[in-house]
Amino acid sequence: MAVEYNCILIRFGEIFLKGDNRKYFESLLIKNINDALRGLKYTFVRSQGRYYIEKYLQEDKDEIISRLTKVFGIHSVSPTVKVPTDVEELGRVAAEITPKSGKFRVTVKRADKRLGMTSTEFAATIGGKLLKASGGKLKVDLFDYDFELFVDIRENGYSYLFYEKIMGAQGLPTGCSGNGMLLLSGGIDSPVAGYVMAKRGIRLYAIHFHSFPYTSELALQKVKDLAKKLTAYCGEIKLYVVPFTEIQYAIHDKCPEEFMITIMRRFMMRIAERIARANNCGAIITGESLGQVASQTMQSIIVTNSVVTLPVYRPLIGSDKSEIIDIANKIDTFEISIRPYEDCCTVFLPKNPVIKPKLSDAEEFESRLDVETLIEKAVAEIAEEIIAPGLL
Amino acid sequence: MIYFDNAATTRASETTVKKVSEYLREKFYNPSSLYHEGIEAKRDLDRARAIILDKLRGDGKVIFTGGGTESDNIALFGTKKHKNGRIIIGGAEHAAVYASATELKQRGFDVVFAPVRSDGSVDPERFAELVTPEVTLASVMHVNNETGAVNDVAALAGIVKKVAPNALFHSDGVQAFGKMKLNLRSAPIDLYSMSAHKLGAPKGIGALYIRSKVGVSPIVYGGGQEGGLRSSTENTAGIAAFAEAVTERYADLDDTRAAVGEIRAYIARVLAEIEEIEILSPENGSPYILTFTSRKVRGEVMQHALEREGILVGTGSACSSNKASERIPDALGLKGKYRDGIVRLSFFKDNTLDEAAEFAEKYIKTYKELSKYGS
Repeated sequence: MAVEYNCILIRFGEIFLKGDNRKYFESLLIKNINDALRGLKYTFVRSQGRYYIEKYLQEDKDEIISRLTKVFGIHSVSPTVKVPTDVEELGRVAAEITPKSGKFRVTVKRADKRLGMTSTEFAATIGGKLLKASGGKLKVDLFDYDFELFVDIRENGYSYLFYEKIMGAQGLPTGCSGNGMLLLSGGIDSPVAGYVMAKRGIRLYAIHFHSFPYTSELALQKVKDLAKKLTAYCGEIKLYVVPFTEIQYAIHDKCPEEFMITIMRRFMMRIAERIARANNCGAIITGESLGQVASQTMQSIIVTNSVVTLPVYRPLIGSDKSEIIDIANKIDTFEISIRPYEDCCTVFLPKNPVIKPKLSDAEEFESRLDVETLIEKAVAEIAEEIIAPGLL
Repeated sequence: MIYFDNAATTRASETTVKKVSEYLREKFYNPSSLYHEGIEAKRDLDRARAIILDKLRGDGKVIFTGGGTESDNIALFGTKKHKNGRIIIGGAEHAAVYASATELKQRGFDVVFAPVRSDGSVDPERFAELVTPEVTLASVMHVNNETGAVNDVAALAGIVKKVAPNALFHSDGVQAFGKMKLNLRSAPIDLYSMSAHKLGAPKGIGALYIRSKVGVSPIVYGGGQEGGLRSSTENTAGIAAFAEAVTERYADLDDTRAAVGEIRAYIARVLAEIEEIEILSPENGSPYILTFTSRKVRGEVMQHALEREGILVGTGSACSSNKASERIPDALGLKGKYRDGIVRLSFFKDNTLDEAAEFAEKYIKTYKELSKYGS
């Protein structure tokens, strides 16, 4: 019978470091793995500090690996052949999955000490069988090899043979660091900021400000599509859509044009904080990158930050656009972000936004507005939607 | 809901839906099959073809395609063109023709675009200036989809043939067919594109008229259906529905034109009273289309605001940052904020004067609100 990669080995990373909390982190990671694999047939096995996915359909193998490598907290995965620990059987399987020619080495890791051989002796034995089976076309080279066969001998009486180690998303299991409220605009930066913080274990909530009829339903759909992409990494996201037009009208009517964006941002931050606190979020997350646009200068950030007391995480503050785009491409949000709808809302954009706003000016202009009533009205009309992983 | 975007697509009529169902459930057979049911399907197909040819008053044949765009593509790519020949294209053609012509240009043909006037119609004098004996193909739409301007395609074809007798003349008739009387026999038009879903039939079905003795090669190869020009098992349900819709549209053509014309005139009168609005559609254009622009409110913003009032309309420009949408404002010579303000209303037989009145009332209310912020 042809040998099949019948078991996927999952290694997890940093959570080893977390001592007492390990149990909690692991239970989260396991839940996240099971969430990511929802809809597929498989068995999850936890054994001696490792996880295995078994009893899946061969045709789902690549899909499972693709999903697992997006789960934060997973260091790497390997498709393995699981066989009962028996030297003859291991030799036979190893010969089947090893290329027929080239230089190789065998690396054995032996948790099961009952075999009467050291790891090195075991590796030599398997290597010998491979050499014999290849009819001289394979050569051993422990240092300059073309491929390395790993044999992982576990105490459960089984061994796992594999060649590949596929890097995972790393980071910490989603949720282990608490909740965060992401300002999701539809641009390139905000989904990347969400991804970067989710990687550190934050469970994402998202908030979007919608200016119908100045921005279209397509712009809103774009935001939902971006959130959907993020769910592949961090699971379900609750998205809040705030109707923002009335607030923009009010600012437009009462405040100087060049302060439009500064004051808009202050409203966004206030509303985001309100919704964040209602969801037990410990932070607001934005995609700001220092100096990228007028509203992201040091002075602008002082002015927009001053209306909230929750910490604001700005993971991209020191990143260049090209670095942000690299991540956007990696997580497959870039193509969505560059759909053109975002720019349709040009009506309220001033020609010359203030680059170095003064806090006292912003406060003075804002005093012309009934800030609290405007916010309450917008919050009352918020639409909520759960964005879940999976197909449309 | 008021639907004033019928140039984008129309709602299928009950009779065409019935036809579709009939040809999917009962008469579903493959017209290429040699048993009785297949032969009947083939006969029905040819009957549909005859109905359309009759309305065109054409001397030639009709082949069915997957839609207006495909018909245009066959006309532009499937016809013989001299390597050094000139191709003349109307300056405000639908993307189906414009993008095909751009591709031909990429392939090395001398493609020139005939300037249009501010109402979207091709200027015959400037068109004539482009005509040389080297012209091998010319394509000018019959009714402009953005403004409803009607090109005198018979006259334009005549101009071409006088200087270049062997040139072919194609017209995209998607916004004209079923909405005006045609007489292709008396016009030197060689190819004419049509679409079903603008007439109350389903999407995914179109036709191309090919005048007798005009040589066309396929652009898709396969089982040889439609005289080898459009291989693929025929969409018999769509074709039957298409023919049904064509019959209906021509049965009450004069009445419908009069009715939508009244709607158009009513709304045009109301809009004329707003200072910053400029009506782009010509007075003598297709009664089915009324296009205007405002320098105070962007077309897309107006579209969304009306959507909230339960009124669906079209726009000219999807978004200022979208390069593709610059072409038509350019062609019409629109300047400044007028470029972004285009709104297109397009009517169909089901629209009423009551709807026009409701539209006018809601439009003015919305316009007043939005124009405060639009400037």
